[in-house]
Amino acid sequence: MSRDGKLPVIWIIILIVLPFIAALIALGIGRMSISPGEVLDVLRTRMTGGHVSSQLIEKTVMQLRLPRIVLAALVGAGLSVSGCAFQSLFANPLATPDTLGVASGASFGAALGILLGFDLVGVQITGLAMGGLAVTLTWLAGSGKDRGGLSYIVLSGIMIGSLFSALVSLIKYVADEESQLPAITYWLMGGLDKASFRTLSLGAPVIIAGILLFFLIRWRMNLLPLSDDEAKASGTNIKALRTVTVIAATAITASCVSMCGQVGWVGLLIPHMCRMKFGSNHLALIPSSVSLGAVFMIAVDTLARSISAAEIPVSIFTATIGAPFFIMLMRRSGGWRI
Amino acid sequence: MSPLLKVENGSFAYRGGPQILDNINFEVNAGEILAVLGPNGAGKTTLLRCMMDMLRWDSGRSLLDGEDIHSMPARKLWSRMAYVPQAKSAASSYTAFQTVLLGRSSRIGTFSSPSAGDMEKAEDVMRQLGILDLADKQSYAISGGELQMVLIARAMASEPEILVLDEPESNLDFRNQLVVLDTISSLAADGVACVFNTHYPAHALQRAHRSLILNKGGGCISGSTPEIVTEDNIRRAFGVNAVIGEIETAESVLKNVMPLSIVKTAQARGTDEAGSSDESCIASVSIIMKDNATADKVNSLLHEYNHLLIGRMGLPHRGRGLYIINITLDGAGPEIGALSHSLSLIPGISVKTTYAGE
Repeated sequence: MSRDGKLPVIWIIILIVLPFIAALIALGIGRMSISPGEVLDVLRTRMTGGHVSSQLIEKTVMQLRLPRIVLAALVGAGLSVSGCAFQSLFANPLATPDTLGVASGASFGAALGILLGFDLVGVQITGLAMGGLAVTLTWLAGSGKDRGGLSYIVLSGIMIGSLFSALVSLIKYVADEESQLPAITYWLMGGLDKASFRTLSLGAPVIIAGILLFFLIRWRMNLLPLSDDEAKASGTNIKALRTVTVIAATAITASCVSMCGQVGWVGLLIPHMCRMKFGSNHLALIPSSVSLGAVFMIAVDTLARSISAAEIPVSIFTATIGAPFFIMLMRRSGGWRI
Repeated sequence: MSPLLKVENGSFAYRGGPQILDNINFEVNAGEILAVLGPNGAGKTTLLRCMMDMLRWDSGRSLLDGEDIHSMPARKLWSRMAYVPQAKSAASSYTAFQTVLLGRSSRIGTFSSPSAGDMEKAEDVMRQLGILDLADKQSYAISGGELQMVLIARAMASEPEILVLDEPESNLDFRNQLVVLDTISSLAADGVACVFNTHYPAHALQRAHRSLILNKGGGCISGSTPEIVTEDNIRRAFGVNAVIGEIETAESVLKNVMPLSIVKTAQARGTDEAGSSDESCIASVSIIMKDNATADKVNSLLHEYNHLLIGRMGLPHRGRGLYIINITLDGAGPEIGALSHSLSLIPGISVKTTYAGE
């Protein structure tokens, strides 16, 4: 890393190109194997408006796989960038949408939305509201003048998370067994199989706007982990910065949850990998988290849909990778740094 | 000319708590060092936080160049004032250079990153403080003294006129204490006003132009250091019998405070103001300095105390690049003391004062 904290040019190129390569490969993988050449062919004819050689291939690539891969990329990028923001905001390496209870809160909100028969926009809004409520409760319970300890925030996050999990169970209990219950249960497991350009058009703007905002204020985000007095003495309106950060990160999380359920661990895994490689300067951390989050999610989702005949919920994969990583991070000396 | 920073009638109590600060008044000018002394728990840090508007005064106000700090925009205030917190441990794993660069925040737009100019400034400050070699180290991997210097560099990166330091030399070993104190002295010599909290009356005596002693119960006394840091005032504020002595080195005479015993309560109450000796006396001061800039400072100081001067002899020693001045003074004892104290605070100078016997 250079002294100014910016990414070296070679890494900028890698981080831009890598998601596209991952997407290109993922487009070809599935029950019907399609070579990268054919994939490119389809994309090119689609762009230029020429004639397609095979209707089947075109349909598979454009209508089934592409929206799903775009969704995976957005969710991966969104969850890892909001994980990154939460960690810096709470100056706590274990703060993520999952550990802070945001994801549980958003899940409850979204399940409530499904129960009430809302459309995706409504589900997103209830998800955002409850996610916001959860993180506020966690904040109130776990941070105070005399409780500087790292574990308080995570402990209170677990409490708030379990509270909202209980509320999700309540929703399931009252949901209609024939139609709503299976929908809620399956959706809670986390999956990207319902992806279509229609769902994307509703959820993607929030995620993209959030990521863009974090990208723009990425240098200033370096002030987030500082103590109150230090942050004030920087001449920045630290309250505004924190409020904007918490709203944007919660909105991204709620949007992801409403589109594909609770996909855990991404917000912990990816930012920490990036911290290890690029350091804690957000100038490099935000872009690298966005890019590698997208790549990770594309890879994991492709694995989930292609490893067996029946699709495996993607959160099972992220958890099997995430849980051991979390333990490793906890035990590693120096792994506790932001 | 109004003072650079002035606190008027400042009072403060935490909600539901006792009065911590009661009618605090002091001022600091450009190039001056103010030491804030007081026993543990007297509210030294609270005083600094109120002064900087991090806590709101219950009554009274802080004025920067005559303007109330509370109504100043944060960006404007913090490009003129900078704060150095106690270096307990680094919260975040930025490199030292990144940490220093954060000091430029008040001069960088919300959506912008540091420019080449900002980085140059950060490097300049680190070079000036002699810590450029730490630039690429992680701030959690350096020593406490080094971290304190990095935090001072971060504050200086915003090019402030006032530097506020919270116990900058606490928890540091002898050498690092000197490094930090020398840094403060040389920043003040460059025109920066410095306000620092300290546990050590000796540091106030050796470094500060002005001192403020905070008593438990909220009151304070402030003024020029030789008038404030006295055996009486130390006994009253700290409850400690102490002697202020002088240690003579080849170069100059240093004041030091030696605590002797704890004051029994009755004795503390009973002490009467010992009549301060306003008697006039005669003194001769010899000064040796190494460069022209220092000579200018000495001359302007002597000009200020012109009424005391009864004799003066300047002697440039060009071969060695030295300037030697001998002055003879006649005037009130405390005034002569104040002048010789002010002279001794100028970095790179040797000063000795000899008083005539009765």
